[in-house]
Amino acid sequence: MIKKSLSVLLMVMMLIAIVGCTKDDSTSGKSSDGDSKDKVTFTYFNAASPGKDLNTNETKIGKIFEDQTGVNFKTEYLVGDINTKIGTMIASGKYPDVLVPDIAIDKVLDAGAFIDLTELIDEHAPNIKKLYGPFLNQMKDKDGKINFIPFAAKQGFIKDPNITQGAFWIQRGVLREAGYPKIKTLDEYLALIEDYQKKHPEVNGASTIGFTALTYDWRFFALSNVPNHLAGYPNDGEVIVDMKTHKTDVYADNDITKRYFKELNELNSKGLFDKEAFVANYDEYLAKLASGRVLGFFDYGWQVQQSLDNLKVAGNDDLRYMPLPITFDGQKDQYIDPPAFINNRGVGITVSAKDPVRIIKYFDNMVKEENQKLMFWGIKDETYSVDDKGRFYQTEEQFAKTSDEKYRDESGLNTFEYYWPMGDMLYSDGNAWVPGKQPEVAQVSYTDGDKAILKAYDAEVFSDLFADPDDRPWYPTWSAVIEQGSDPQIFGQRKTDLTKEFFPKLVLAKPGDFDKVWDEYIKEFNKLDAKSLEDLMDKVVEDRIKAAEENK
Amino acid sequence: MILVYIDLQKGGASMEVGTGASKEVIKPTVTVSKKRNKTFFAKLKSQKVLLAMSLPFLVWLFIFKYVPLWGWTIAFQDFKPARSIMDQEWIGMEHFKFLFTDENFWRVLRNTVGMSSINLVLGFVTAIGLALLINEIRNLRFKKSVQTISYLPHFISWVVAASIVSYSLSLENGIINIVLVNLGIVDEPILWLGKEKWFWVINGLAEVWKNVGWNTIIYLAAITMIDPEQYEAADIDGASRLQRIRHITLPSLKPTIIILIIMNLGYVLESGFEAQYLLGNPMNLSYSENLDIYVLKYGMAMGNFSLATAAGIFKTVVSFIFLFSANHIAKKFDQPRLF
Repeated sequence: MIKKSLSVLLMVMMLIAIVGCTKDDSTSGKSSDGDSKDKVTFTYFNAASPGKDLNTNETKIGKIFEDQTGVNFKTEYLVGDINTKIGTMIASGKYPDVLVPDIAIDKVLDAGAFIDLTELIDEHAPNIKKLYGPFLNQMKDKDGKINFIPFAAKQGFIKDPNITQGAFWIQRGVLREAGYPKIKTLDEYLALIEDYQKKHPEVNGASTIGFTALTYDWRFFALSNVPNHLAGYPNDGEVIVDMKTHKTDVYADNDITKRYFKELNELNSKGLFDKEAFVANYDEYLAKLASGRVLGFFDYGWQVQQSLDNLKVAGNDDLRYMPLPITFDGQKDQYIDPPAFINNRGVGITVSAKDPVRIIKYFDNMVKEENQKLMFWGIKDETYSVDDKGRFYQTEEQFAKTSDEKYRDESGLNTFEYYWPMGDMLYSDGNAWVPGKQPEVAQVSYTDGDKAILKAYDAEVFSDLFADPDDRPWYPTWSAVIEQGSDPQIFGQRKTDLTKEFFPKLVLAKPGDFDKVWDEYIKEFNKLDAKSLEDLMDKVVEDRIKAAEENK
Repeated sequence: MILVYIDLQKGGASMEVGTGASKEVIKPTVTVSKKRNKTFFAKLKSQKVLLAMSLPFLVWLFIFKYVPLWGWTIAFQDFKPARSIMDQEWIGMEHFKFLFTDENFWRVLRNTVGMSSINLVLGFVTAIGLALLINEIRNLRFKKSVQTISYLPHFISWVVAASIVSYSLSLENGIINIVLVNLGIVDEPILWLGKEKWFWVINGLAEVWKNVGWNTIIYLAAITMIDPEQYEAADIDGASRLQRIRHITLPSLKPTIIILIIMNLGYVLESGFEAQYLLGNPMNLSYSENLDIYVLKYGMAMGNFSLATAAGIFKTVVSFIFLFSANHIAKKFDQPRLF
């Protein structure tokens, strides 16, 4: 008996000890006055992109920041599966001081791993308050807490000179042979391709493919989003938002979708559509584009960058692609993203952080304009120069330097490239926030072929052909937080499953059967709960419009 | 003799021990329970080394197979990670209801059962066939190289294997299409991975290609256990090679085959994951998607661990039923069985 009670006692003691220990660990924010410049090292984990693990003070820019604040970050980047890694952190309750959880952010928030930044920003971060001022309301969660700092607080607006977003791409050779016509409608675009393919059935010994599409796995949206763009709307994900009533509508069952797939169906019956489009994986798709066999396709620039770069290096200008803002009937296009504030990605301070005040002060220091210029443009006269009008530019030498991965690692340009508190668009002096958006820099990167085709279309940069985005304070609705496992999310998954099944059938059906397949598709679609998503999105749009007005 | 018999009865083992003799001694052992107790401990003591050796495995079994069963409670909650069990919301059978009322669920279930049946049948037939063939090869060097070559694909990861399969089946450079067209069997290349109804077959054949060599190992091992005297006797009686296979090799393999079938029936809802995931595409989706992919999409990807667990429970229950009924049938027909 004595033995038994003794062991029970022992167990209780151990339990207390364990609980006590964890308590000790988790008491965060040993408050410091934060004015100290003592050297201190914090940990930073980035789950959003691969990168080089290092100490920020080993980089040129990071050293300057350390001199200013005394803070050094030991950075670590994700290797392997994001959910496993973040899941392990949550299960163990041990986090890095600063965490960029990317798509796993909902899990991190659910677990309560981020501390509330509201007071910290209020007390210690005047610069963050200024930079993020217009967006502070959108940064708050349901309880009014600011759990993390989103990236890219947009100041003003400037178009990206190059097309990284959606566009209909066409081989430059096709345009050249047709005498650089100014085309706007889908019919004109497809007619150009048809003519060219008739004249050139083979490229480098392989058959020419008129039009292809990316359909692999989660990248399927590169096919399902197209009708929305053709109708003159930006990429709002699954819905179209009416400009007047602000009501949302899932367009997968709309006439615009029918119309687009009817066009593809015709294209297929003429033998112009890539037969393998629905079975190829992403790598096969990229390889096909880089082979120069494909005359046209729709995609987002960031998904095909690799192929475009390969074609650029290969040097045959006729095989390179030109992005065009095609719409159904030539209506105003909205391919370029409206300035948007993505509030479901960001960087946060975790409950494991020992000294949140020092961290927020470091963040506050880095969002000063001169420091942001350091992060994105680098060091003056080394990676960029300033002309007598105060415009930033890069010489070819400087451009090459900032494209060199080794230099980017050593200088810290890679480490501070994104994923920290940051602004975007325009500095108060009118220069672009990041070099990639400065027209002067874009022109340095253009080849002679680029310059020639731009001249033929009377443009300075590629985005000149595209219309400016309209004001859409709700954009992008796809960034709305959809609760895990909720009806709208299940609808989204079921809709994707259904469209994945039927879109190939619609394209590949015999033209006479098209309407039959469409009716079958609509019958299945109507079984799904589209309203759950529309209701949620209506609310999101309403809230965002309200938040935007409050901030004015 | 007495002791052995009692012990086996208690443990429920299926070995048959001298039936005639033991029947007589049941009575005394039951009545003298005190004595039995004593002998039990005596035996325990005498076998302590064996017991100590098996202990780690019992602990392993308990920790990794029984403790996780606690996680089944998740299926009845609206589970949110990093919360204690007291803070979880209990919702009863909601997740099971979601599963069984979802049309997609029945579709993926059909695909799962279809593909695993094909895999099961093809897997057994080809593995036994290849094992018999390899066994008949007299040239040792040739035998070894056949074995090695047929094992090789087993060690390739499915990611690579799927690329090989999809490349072989591709429209323009695929070896399958080139052969078929040149032999005049088809007029123009076929988009194999786009033919949804063919997917089960393609998947089954890919599975065979990848694993047939590996699966022969156990049969080859069983064949080596066969007493060579039986073959010699058959030789003297003038049996041909085929007759020897039919009357000696196959009957000797029967226990192995039946045990493996019983065990594999327990996996009837495991049709694999990687092959279907990697070879699946929008055109064959309605036949390629199986239970595991469904669970990934509607469970894991949505952070709905409860649904994933519910599907897991469903799978376990079905496996249990299959395993026990197969075993029961084997018992009825007086065939070798698991337990």
